[in-house]
Amino acid sequence: MNYSFDFQSISFAPLWEGLMVTLELTAAANIIGIVGGFLLALLIMSPIAVIRLPAMLFVEFFRCTPAIVQIVWFFYCVPMLFNVFLGSMTMGILALGFNLMAFNAEAYRASIQAVPREQIDAGIALGLNPFQRILYIVLPTAFRASIPVLLTNGIGIFQQSALVAIVAVQDLMYQGKTLATETYRPIETFTVVALIYFAVSFPVTQVVGYLERRRQLLMN
Amino acid sequence: MTAPTTPPLVRMQSLHKSYGPAIQVLKGLDIEMQPGERLVVIGPSGGGKSTLLRVMMGLEKIDRGSITFGGKPYISSDGLDKKTNIDTEVRRSIGMVFQHYTLFPHLNVVENLILAPCKVRKERKSDATERAVGLLTRFGLAAKAKAYPAQLSGGQKQRVAIARALMLDPKLMLFDEVTSALDPELVAEVEQVILQLAAQKMPMMIVTHDMWFAKNIASRVIFCAGGVVVEDGPPEQVLGSPKEERTRDFIDRVFHIRQ
Repeated sequence: MNYSFDFQSISFAPLWEGLMVTLELTAAANIIGIVGGFLLALLIMSPIAVIRLPAMLFVEFFRCTPAIVQIVWFFYCVPMLFNVFLGSMTMGILALGFNLMAFNAEAYRASIQAVPREQIDAGIALGLNPFQRILYIVLPTAFRASIPVLLTNGIGIFQQSALVAIVAVQDLMYQGKTLATETYRPIETFTVVALIYFAVSFPVTQVVGYLERRRQLLMN
Repeated sequence: MTAPTTPPLVRMQSLHKSYGPAIQVLKGLDIEMQPGERLVVIGPSGGGKSTLLRVMMGLEKIDRGSITFGGKPYISSDGLDKKTNIDTEVRRSIGMVFQHYTLFPHLNVVENLILAPCKVRKERKSDATERAVGLLTRFGLAAKAKAYPAQLSGGQKQRVAIARALMLDPKLMLFDEVTSALDPELVAEVEQVILQLAAQKMPMMIVTHDMWFAKNIASRVIFCAGGVVVEDGPPEQVLGSPKEERTRDFIDRVFHIRQ
C-alpha cells in the first residue's frame, strides 16, 4: 500500500463543533437516564401488575431492539404516528435518553435487590419504619453500588450517540462524514474521529475501574 | 420453683413456625423469661434457635402462638388467615445483634449509632452524638468514632453493633451467634462487652455455640432441638450434668469437638 497520510487537510473546527453536539446529546440523555431510570426501576419492582408490566415492556423493548432501529423508529415513525416532531436534536436526546433509561433501570433494580436481607433486618431491629428503611439503608447502599454501571452505561450512550448522525443530527460522527466527503480523506478523518471518541471514553472507563476496586475494599 | 410476683418479661406460648409444609422449625414452643434473666439457647443447627430469636424480634412471622412482653401482648397469630400481629411499639424495646455485623456500610460508626435515635425517637443529633461517644468510650472504641465499618476488625464491628442496639435503651437484648463469624482471637473482646452488660442486669437471650461463653453468661440454659425445648434449667445442670439424653449427646459432642 502506497498511501501517504495527510492530516493537514483535516480541519478541526467542524469536528470540535460536532464533539460539542455529541457531548450535549450525552449529557441530556444521561440526565433522562439517571433520573428516569430510577423512577422506572421503582415501577418495575412494583407489586402491582398494572404498573409493573408496562414498565417491564418498556425496558425489554429498549433492551431487545438495536439502538439504530430505535433511533430510526423515533425519527420516522413517531412523527407519522403522533404528528409531532420536536426537532432533530430533541428527538435524538429522547431516543438515546429512553434507551439509557431502560438499561439504567435494570442497574438500579439489580443494586436495590442486592442489598443484603440482613441490612433490612437490622433496620427493623432498630425500629425504622419501612419508608425509613428504604430511604436511609436501601437506597444509599444501592445507589453507591449502581454508580459504576451507570457510568458504563452513560459512556456507552456517548458512543451510541454516533448513530444519530444517520438522521442528520450534526454530531461528531456527522461532521466526520461531511469532512471525509469534502476532503476525500476518509482514513485520516475517521482515525481522528475515533481518537476523539477514545480520548473522552477512556478516562471514564478508568474511573469506573477505580470505583469498582475501591468498592470491593469497602465491602470487605 | 416459687411463683414470681412480677409478671414474666417474656412469655412465649405455643409458638409454631414452618417454612412451607415440609419444614417445621418451631413445634409449639413455650418459654417464660423472668426480668433480669440471661437465657442462653443452645442446640443443634436447624433446631430452631435462631428462628426463635428472629421471631422474638418480629423478623419472622409465626403460624400460631403468642408472645407477651412485660405483661403486654406483643406478637400473636391464630393461624387462621396466616396473619401475624406485631405491636411495633413493644418491638422498639427489644434490641438485637446479628451474626454478620449488619452495620450500615455507607455510614461511619457514630452515624450508625445515631441513625435510629434521630429518625425513630426524633432525638436531637447533638444529644444522640454525645450519648454515642459515651457508649463508644465505654466499649473502648472512642478512637473509631469517625471510622467506616470497612475499616474495622470483626470484633470492633460487633462491639459497634452492640452499642448501636443499646442506643435505643432496650429492655431486652437478643444476641444471635454474635461471635460465630469472628476469628478466635477476636471472640473475647465481644464476649467481654456482653458480660459487662450482664453485670448491669440487662436481660438477654443469647444463641451461641460457644459453651465456655454460655457457662459464663447464662443464668439459665435452654436446650432446643427439633423445634421444641428439650431441657431447661440452670447452666450447671444443662451444661454440666444434663438430665435428658439428647442434651447429654449434644453436650458431649460439642465439648469433644472443642478439645
